[in-house]
Amino acid sequence: MRHLPLYIRLFLHLILREDHRRSVISDLSELYQVRWERDGEAAARAWLRRQTRLYPFTLIGAHLRRREPSHDSRLTTHSPPTEHLRTLSRDLRHSLRSLMRTPMLTATIVLTVGLGIGATTAIFSVIDAVLIRPLPYSNPGDLVRIYTDQPPNRWPFSVADYLALEEQQTSFRGIAAYWNATMTFTRDDVAERVQGSSVTWNYLSLLGINPIVGRQFNEADGVPGAERVALVSHGFWTRHLARDDAAIGRPIRLNGNDFTVVGVLPRDLGPLEYQREFFIAEPLQTPPRKGPFFMRVVGRLHENAEVASAAEELRAINRRIFPIWQSSWQDETTTWGMVDLKAFVVGDVSSTLAIVLGAVGFVLLIACANAANLLIARATHRSRELAVRAALGASRGRVLQHLLSESVLLAIGGASVGLLLTVGGIQLLATAGADFIPRSAEISINSSVLWFLTTVTLGSAVLFGLVPSLHGSRTRFEAALKSGGRGATDGTGPRYLRRALVISQFAIAAPLLIGAGLLVASLAKLQRVDPGFDTSNLLTAAISLPAAAYPDTSAVRAFWDQFQVRVEALPGVAGVGFANARPPTQLNEINNFNLEDHPTPPGEIQPTAPWVNGSPEYFDVLGISLIRGRMFDDRDWTSGDPVVLVDETWASHFFPNESAVGKRLGDGGSPDWTTIIGVVSKVKYLGLDNPNADGTVYRPIPPSGSRFRYFFVRTAVDPFSVLPAVRQIVRELDSSLPVSGVATAEELMADSLQQPRYLAVLVGAFAMVALLLSLIGIYGVMAYFVQQHTRDIGIRIALGGGPSDVMRLVVRQGMHLVVVGTALGVIAALGLTRYMSALLFEVGATDAVTFAIVALGMLGTAVIACFGPARRAAGLDPARTLREE
Amino acid sequence: MPKETFGEFEHRVMLTILQLGGEAYSVPIVLELEERTGREVAQAAVFIVLQRLEKKGLLTSRMDDHAVGETGRVRRYFKPTAAAMERLKESRRAYNRLWEGLDAVLEMSSE
Repeated sequence: MRHLPLYIRLFLHLILREDHRRSVISDLSELYQVRWERDGEAAARAWLRRQTRLYPFTLIGAHLRRREPSHDSRLTTHSPPTEHLRTLSRDLRHSLRSLMRTPMLTATIVLTVGLGIGATTAIFSVIDAVLIRPLPYSNPGDLVRIYTDQPPNRWPFSVADYLALEEQQTSFRGIAAYWNATMTFTRDDVAERVQGSSVTWNYLSLLGINPIVGRQFNEADGVPGAERVALVSHGFWTRHLARDDAAIGRPIRLNGNDFTVVGVLPRDLGPLEYQREFFIAEPLQTPPRKGPFFMRVVGRLHENAEVASAAEELRAINRRIFPIWQSSWQDETTTWGMVDLKAFVVGDVSSTLAIVLGAVGFVLLIACANAANLLIARATHRSRELAVRAALGASRGRVLQHLLSESVLLAIGGASVGLLLTVGGIQLLATAGADFIPRSAEISINSSVLWFLTTVTLGSAVLFGLVPSLHGSRTRFEAALKSGGRGATDGTGPRYLRRALVISQFAIAAPLLIGAGLLVASLAKLQRVDPGFDTSNLLTAAISLPAAAYPDTSAVRAFWDQFQVRVEALPGVAGVGFANARPPTQLNEINNFNLEDHPTPPGEIQPTAPWVNGSPEYFDVLGISLIRGRMFDDRDWTSGDPVVLVDETWASHFFPNESAVGKRLGDGGSPDWTTIIGVVSKVKYLGLDNPNADGTVYRPIPPSGSRFRYFFVRTAVDPFSVLPAVRQIVRELDSSLPVSGVATAEELMADSLQQPRYLAVLVGAFAMVALLLSLIGIYGVMAYFVQQHTRDIGIRIALGGGPSDVMRLVVRQGMHLVVVGTALGVIAALGLTRYMSALLFEVGATDAVTFAIVALGMLGTAVIACFGPARRAAGLDPARTLREE
Repeated sequence: MPKETFGEFEHRVMLTILQLGGEAYSVPIVLELEERTGREVAQAAVFIVLQRLEKKGLLTSRMDDHAVGETGRVRRYFKPTAAAMERLKESRRAYNRLWEGLDAVLEMSSE
């Protein structure tokens, strides 16, 4: 005989009345057996699931359809389970009607709680996507990122390193590498810069990414001399290849070379492949020297591999190969390290997200306190109605259930508003934060986000519903009935409760406002940082000359010379310069170096500094001034002696007591000496918030050098007005060249502050909402206070108290609460803000000015909020008030 | 006083019980209904209707205790009351009156 599963029996047991339970369960199991024998197991199970699901709906439907049952059933002390369902649905309908009668109150609670729920859920969805969900690779727990470890820096690998590790390691099932390969894609007459990755042939299969069309890379693709092959992203396939299967096996042109497309990757890739349009299998050959370092290595550990022993093996292999490359790499302390891939991808964003989640959590708490406050006032007003219910025989539990059902309805309303806000919010968060929130492409509403929403909703319902309901169900009913519904409202219980809620609102809002204040102060400091160059009227963009079309130095020189001459001749243009970096953040090279006068002892770490290649005009165009020595000039490319400029920070850091001009350094482990010919003013290349205490070194770009250059055009007019002419010149010189990354220097500055601005705006907006809700709270309590004390105030005025006395009395009452709340909040903030000190720039976590401004601002706005009720009190007509009493 | 009529599904359940010999428990009722309508029937719905008809005094029920020992099944058998039979006849008569003279209309529309 087939038995029903236990959980179904239990479920039916709970929802069915006792007198039917046994026969219904027995019949259902008999029908189940009939199905099983007639239709087979799977069909029977599916049928059973359908049937069981129908039960609650059928039961609820059945008695909703019936007319209101007789009164006595409501008053029975013992009610069977179905009876609970019935009273619940009746409570819900009743609550809905009574909430509809006070639309303003209902709307206020639904909107404010909805705002709190929505904001909290939206931030959670980001945290879920970034921190909680595993990486979208197969068995992501085994994946690690392997790097060259030179504390505090982590560098990529070189080809020499990679080949040695691949050959000697035993801890990993495999290692693979990827590196940036942004190239010019040309088709017909259209040219476009496209972001892609060069990868080792096993990279995609190691991560578990398989093409949806075509084939995976194989070992033959990684052999030097093999046909050049590419896998393209789903987006590239759609945009450029018309989603045509026939494109497989045909070539695409990248940087002037043909690559055969062998397959198309799935639409959703992982964070390492973010915005990568194509992947090229790059053959590796043993290099002549250790550097350069550009390969980003991922490894997949053996299933039972010990992380510690794998890390030890990395260090051991590194030590083993050190002697082989000693001629080009002397730094023995540098080793290899590894870190969990997810930790690497997520980086240090978790502290930022925690702060934002804290902020929205606070907003939700304040919204709940506000809702509780309003509901207490409402319960107090309804004490007569509740008393009548109690007198008719409703138990305290029934009254409580009724009041709670109101908060549940309000919370469900709030959840609907919250869900809408979440949908909009995550769009906004993902778009605005795409550049600095890792894995932002994975932010979505999934089941765990919905669970979170549900939990938060129920939690808030309890939070803002329980206290008012308990209070409402405890009202002294006789008193309420006797006094005609007025006397009972004067109880001390609710008054203290509401005051405590207002105090807690201000206590929660204060740290939030202070946190926002600190972020804004820090942003203001950042915006005042001098980037070291003149940002007005400066247009920049990048051009990259493909090696296939510009095979030798004379072709490169011809292009850049013509470009410079023709752009300089444009009306409104004052000068054109070139560099391989763009301040304040876009830097391509950091080099280690050795000083001839102060050589680094063997075995110690050499100093490093940002390295920028610049044309002689670059310094003029940006407004970088020469402090000592001379600029780059024609001598520097004819003599062949390597020269560099250094900035004043570098000069005073490495040669504090003498002139750096004429000193020599060896860069990147090179044995050749480079002479310092001048010192220039400093420019920020590592971000406005980075002090870069080591300074910057400039290498000249000779006229025939560098296929890739940023160009900088100094204009006397609006920089964008010359852009069409510049584009036209490029088109005339070479119609297949794209101009990419067009921006004014002012835009680059603004972009570099995107993340602090995003955080300041987000937390600031939440803080403003918190303040507004707190002000609504104090206003409500004071308005109620005046209403309750009409008589006392009337007497006071009758006895000669002037309007200003009365106003002072009311405001003092309100400010009492505000001051206590704000003081508690400031104390809490002193403890909390230190968790955000890493996000602050030149502003202390306990910055006295910010604390004072925020506290005074809160008190000031609260005085204004108390003013409304105070003026009403002062305007009372004593004669009328006393007569009415 | 206007007499309450059967709901559609109540009507079907009543007729099915009669088809099954005048007394039945829910399992054969469900199976018979499915047989005759060709659609899946929710046991919950049948249970609700049986309960409602019993409350209205149109069905009586008894527990079949003999079955417990043999199969472990606990069956509640339902049987129409006299009042129900009266109401069924009444409803049959009412329908017949409504159908009078409509055979020709049906035949025409089926052509």
